Amino acid sequence: MQEKLITVEIDENGNSFIDLEGFNGQGCSDVAKDFRGGDSVKHSRKKREFYSQTAVVKQSPQQT
Amino acid sequence: MSQYEELTTTMTDQRYLVEALTEMGYKPEVQTAGTALRGYGGVSWSKPVQVTIPRDQLRGALAPVGFGRDGAGVFQAVIDDLDQKCGLDKTWLGRIAQAYKERQTMSVAKTKGYVFRGREVVQTPQGPKVQLRFAVR
Repeated sequence: MQEKLITVEIDENGNSFIDLEGFNGQGCSDVAKDFRGGDSVKHSRKKREFYSQTAVVKQSPQQT
Repeated sequence: MSQYEELTTTMTDQRYLVEALTEMGYKPEVQTAGTALRGYGGVSWSKPVQVTIPRDQLRGALAPVGFGRDGAGVFQAVIDDLDQKCGLDKTWLGRIAQAYKERQTMSVAKTKGYVFRGREVVQTPQGPKVQLRFAVR
């Protein structure tokens, strides 16, 4: 199983960027929320993994 | 004659601010209730500041630097305008904000149970970027 990694990059002005690897679906939102704290979000972009897990979840009921 | 000017920051936590300044080699003074800021030639700042870097810690500076909370609780930097032209400028303030954010991130990660996997500094034309890596326990 792929390890779930979080990379927080902080630029020269104190702005931070969070990159998540190995997360699927809603899990990444929870982690992003942890690290965001009280800061505001300027840009947010979901990776392909986010949607792939969503698709699996939607397919699950049809398989049973 | 110089004068104090207020520079905007987004820092709100006094602990991380003090830790960031300490990491940068300063010994900041904390007055939780706030204190007046006085600079060269009787220059002063009317609003109270909670965190101060004394002048003797700022090489060649005319005045101490202060950080005072605004009405929303956000620290605003108070810096002599002539000192801003001698290195205590927005770039310097950016380095403080960077150190602040690193402290804040490390603290949040520890509190939430993430596993620290390493720190790397990447040099860019704009300045150094700090990369912190964590794993989920």
